[in-house]
Amino acid sequence: MATRVLIADDSEFMRNLLREILEGEFEIVGEAENGVEAVNMYEEHGPDLVMMDIVMPIRDGIEATTEILEENPDATVIMCTSVGQEEKMKAAIKAGAEGYITKPFQKPNVLDAIGSAV
Amino acid sequence: MRVDVRALGACNRLAERGAKQAAGALSDLTGTDLAVEVTGASVASGEDLAESFAGRESIGVSVGLRGGLDGEAVLAFDAVNADALLSLLPGGQSMGRSAVTEVGNIALGGFLDGWANYLGKAIDMSPPRYFEADGAAVLPDGALAGDGVFLFESRLDATTTDLDFSIYMLPDSGPFRDLIVGKTAPAVTAGGEADGGTTSTAVPYESLSTFSSLAKRGSANAADNIAMMTGLETSVDVSRLRFVPLADVPAEVGTEPHAGTVFELQGEPSGYLAILFEESSAAAVADAMLPMETDEPLGDMAENALCELGNVMTSGFIDGWANVLGTTITHSPPEFVHDIGASTISPLVAKLSERQDYGFVIDTAIQTEGIQARCDVYALPDERELARALDRLSES
Repeated sequence: MATRVLIADDSEFMRNLLREILEGEFEIVGEAENGVEAVNMYEEHGPDLVMMDIVMPIRDGIEATTEILEENPDATVIMCTSVGQEEKMKAAIKAGAEGYITKPFQKPNVLDAIGSAV
Repeated sequence: MRVDVRALGACNRLAERGAKQAAGALSDLTGTDLAVEVTGASVASGEDLAESFAGRESIGVSVGLRGGLDGEAVLAFDAVNADALLSLLPGGQSMGRSAVTEVGNIALGGFLDGWANYLGKAIDMSPPRYFEADGAAVLPDGALAGDGVFLFESRLDATTTDLDFSIYMLPDSGPFRDLIVGKTAPAVTAGGEADGGTTSTAVPYESLSTFSSLAKRGSANAADNIAMMTGLETSVDVSRLRFVPLADVPAEVGTEPHAGTVFELQGEPSGYLAILFEESSAAAVADAMLPMETDEPLGDMAENALCELGNVMTSGFIDGWANVLGTTITHSPPEFVHDIGASTISPLVAKLSERQDYGFVIDTAIQTEGIQARCDVYALPDERELARALDRLSES
């Protein structure tokens, strides 16, 4: 059975790009445009993996990850971010992310990160 | 507030490193090689900036910054290149605004990484905001208000397509102030003597702002002098005080042939001044000055005319400095230069580089209205001597 993935990114362009990379090998269960939607869609679909952008409106990816993991300690989240700041990465890991990939990403990086996390 | 120009140099290096990361991210995203052409810090008033950006139509993305650095950062490019950018992005043509927004987000994220890692603090970026703007509206909020701001500007050029990006960052005074406030002693003692090792480069911020205004006045004088000697109507298009790596200056002048004059300045501050015309502009201006037709466009007669013009322009430029700074500044006889742009200014940069890595560059573009001609003036003062003079200015 294919790994079920939730994509959370406020950029439609980025969601499409991720979808193109993942479709075929993974099942995309939904696309969230902000952290609140990501939390709600996680509860609704219970995906195996969340590809979570950090900088999003309403609620950012780190806050959303913390909230998801509080309710679902086994959830797997990979941060997808345009910032490679060490402090941001530490915050992401502290929030419970299994890994992170820095934008712009290529298909092999995404698949490697997923392979390591799932 | 005192600004340590060396600390400002360190900030400039961070901005340059950030711009390289942004260029790398954009190259990966678009599949087009991008290189960082220029990174510099401007000290400019809102009025100066409005003039500099007049007539440009831009598309871009802005993000607010909080945390390690407060302020705003913007990635912008010419509106006419929008289609070229979209055609390079996967699915870009159909995604339009969303694609551009994400490009800006990724590039600005790369730009800020170096700053955050240097500070050891995270910089929070707000979600990116897409904009289409005319003129200086492209600049971060607040850039046009107030008497003077620091604006970091990087230009990223695509090597194979017409696709140039600019990144502007306007830091708020809070955490940025801690970065640039001078930790060294004032550049001059209360008694008016230079400090012990002549090593201090801390200058009052207000003096930098004053010097920026002074540079602008000098540019206006230089333009008036061209008008008087050639009968051509002139206007100053751009006049900005920037703090840049000296090594970058020749690249800014470019690879097109230029002609003009260069001078050594003596006094406080000493330094160098170059008055450069693109080759065709030099010929047109010389032609306007000469009473008779000449066979050679840039022959001996034209050389003499341009040297005399340079002499008068230089005086117009530095007299204002000397009067306001309360110093005496003289200049060497003009040396005529006619070469590839970068080569005309490289010897001056090499000499100043023996003393400093970064410099205040006053670049002025003077446009003539009767004929197509453009003149760029580069003033390269010695940073320590300028700091001392500005320090005295703040005490007077």
